[in-house]
Amino acid sequence: MDETRSSTTPGSLDPVLARLDPDRGRPAQVLETVGLNLAFGSKTVISGVNIGFQRGTITALIGPTGSGKSTFLRTLNRMNDKVYSFRHEGEVLLDAESIWSPRQDLLSLRRRVGMLFQRPNPFPMSIRDNVVAGVKAHGIARGKQLDVVAETRLREVGLWDAVKDRLHDSPYRLSGGQQQLLCLARALAVGPEVLLLDEPTSALDPLSTEAVEAMLRQMTPALTLIVVTHNLGQARRLSDQTMFFYDGRLVEHGPTAQLFDAPREATTQRYVHGLIG
Amino acid sequence: MSLVEDAARSTAYRRVKSMFFRALTLLALAFVLGPALWLLIGVAVKAVPHWSWSVLTSVPSGNGGGLENAILGTLVIMVGVLVLAGTLGVLAGVFLAEFVSINAKGKERGVVLRTAIDVLAGFPSIVLGYVGYVALCVGLHWGFSLLAALIILSLMVVPYITKATETALRQVPTAYREGAEALGMRTGYGLRKVVLRAALPGVVTGLLIALSITVGETAPLLYTAGITNDLPNWQLIHHPIGYLTYYVWTDWNQPMASLHYISYDASLILLVMVLSLLIVSRVIVARTQRHSESVR
Ligand SMILES: Nc1ncnc2c1ncn2[C@@H]1O[C@H](COP(=O)(O)OP(=O)(O)O)[C@@H](O)[C@H]1O
Ligand SMILES: [Mg+2]
Repeated sequence: MDETRSSTTPGSLDPVLARLDPDRGRPAQVLETVGLNLAFGSKTVISGVNIGFQRGTITALIGPTGSGKSTFLRTLNRMNDKVYSFRHEGEVLLDAESIWSPRQDLLSLRRRVGMLFQRPNPFPMSIRDNVVAGVKAHGIARGKQLDVVAETRLREVGLWDAVKDRLHDSPYRLSGGQQQLLCLARALAVGPEVLLLDEPTSALDPLSTEAVEAMLRQMTPALTLIVVTHNLGQARRLSDQTMFFYDGRLVEHGPTAQLFDAPREATTQRYVHGLIG
Repeated sequence: MSLVEDAARSTAYRRVKSMFFRALTLLALAFVLGPALWLLIGVAVKAVPHWSWSVLTSVPSGNGGGLENAILGTLVIMVGVLVLAGTLGVLAGVFLAEFVSINAKGKERGVVLRTAIDVLAGFPSIVLGYVGYVALCVGLHWGFSLLAALIILSLMVVPYITKATETALRQVPTAYREGAEALGMRTGYGLRKVVLRAALPGVVTGLLIALSITVGETAPLLYTAGITNDLPNWQLIHHPIGYLTYYVWTDWNQPMASLHYISYDASLILLVMVLSLLIVSRVIVARTQRHSESVR
């Protein structure tokens, strides 16, 4: 198994580079939750989560099914808000500002905090139109620029050579892995700062999984990734930090290597050794 | 009894069962296709031998003439219904599928609209026509008029469009909606660009059914549109309008053979119109669904 990546904190950069860092002067934690409780109706799903997400890192969320990982993740870009029984207490701060603050615009929040789903979900339009769907919606580019955006993003996810001759074809003729990369390109095209990924490879075969993982690894430190995964190997290969959810609580979090090799909690130990799950 | 025997028996049984159901489907097909073909061929056989292209370019006169007024009238009525009922029906369908949710008290909203639409769908068309006559032609002093006909026909077909739209939208996978939302698309924008696009075949089918019904209606038109030999003008009220179904019925009941020919001509033109609608709608669906999940 690959060794865990060391985390890049702004302080560890060369001081000259640090001054060039576009994110300098912004909080080191791009996202932070403060006393976050989440519930559907009277059923509490997540309670008392205080955690920060370091800018430019990959965090893996692990834990058994039903432990509230998806609920937690979907709260971060307010995808749960439309669920009528959904209730939240506490705060989620994006660049130190509450995502529920009235000053926060939902549409630009979602542009800044993008999402990739478990099953690839290309839209029923051509491959090229898929990539630029969000760009068009936000009016970021238009006309000929859109073709440039499409090419850039498809190259970025390593899909360009495979699709350059069929940009106007249906996306559903692509393999599952390619479809997921297309969705990744679509999410990247609107220029997010954070990308939320809910089991992004669980519907894919091992080779596609590898391709997607390779892509994700290249995306830091420009982007902050939060990845829910069922696959402990993936958490280990991919992430700097790991959070372990169990039964609606954040049991333990820390650097990935430490959480896997020297967990503090007995529950974590049992989970990473496959004894519960 | 051995497992092998068991398996062989169940295979034979399944084969018989499958043949039986295949026969049933063929029978059902024959029941639908038979009358349709019989109608089509029957009308064509009667109409074609006496066909004259002047039917398309002249208006009825005496014991002959043509059907230009009725052809144009039917087309105008079709377009009018498409605009009026299409807009209303699709909007109502979108509303019911997308914006009616469980409210804070746990009750479903939109019950009134849904009930109203169901009731409307159950109304006999002749009753609707009479209501139109009393309320619009007489009550509002519109006289026999295009607008009265459009309103009554639209009321008649809106339920089909609404139901088709609602059903089609409900079948659009959540993944499309969530994908659109997660990209930061406005609800209406995502609906138009992603969700409705996926639902389009269903919506088009609803419109097609609505227009086919429109083209074939007679009773509500007798009450609201009246009849005239004049070509349609752009007057919405105080002016009757011609339509094909009128001539199918009245001319056939006349003693003169020349009028019987006109009746068959009107039938043939109606059938051609419905078939064209069918083809056009299929083309639209094929054109717009090139990138759909079901077409690989
Ligand atoms: N929309 C919802 N309404 C009610 N309960 C929900 C909803 N979504 C999730 N839950 C509940 O929240 C709990 C956590 O689910 P989830 O966050 O999907 O877990 P995970 O992703 O870790 O498997 C589950 O018990 C689930 O039944
Ligand atoms: Mg989940």
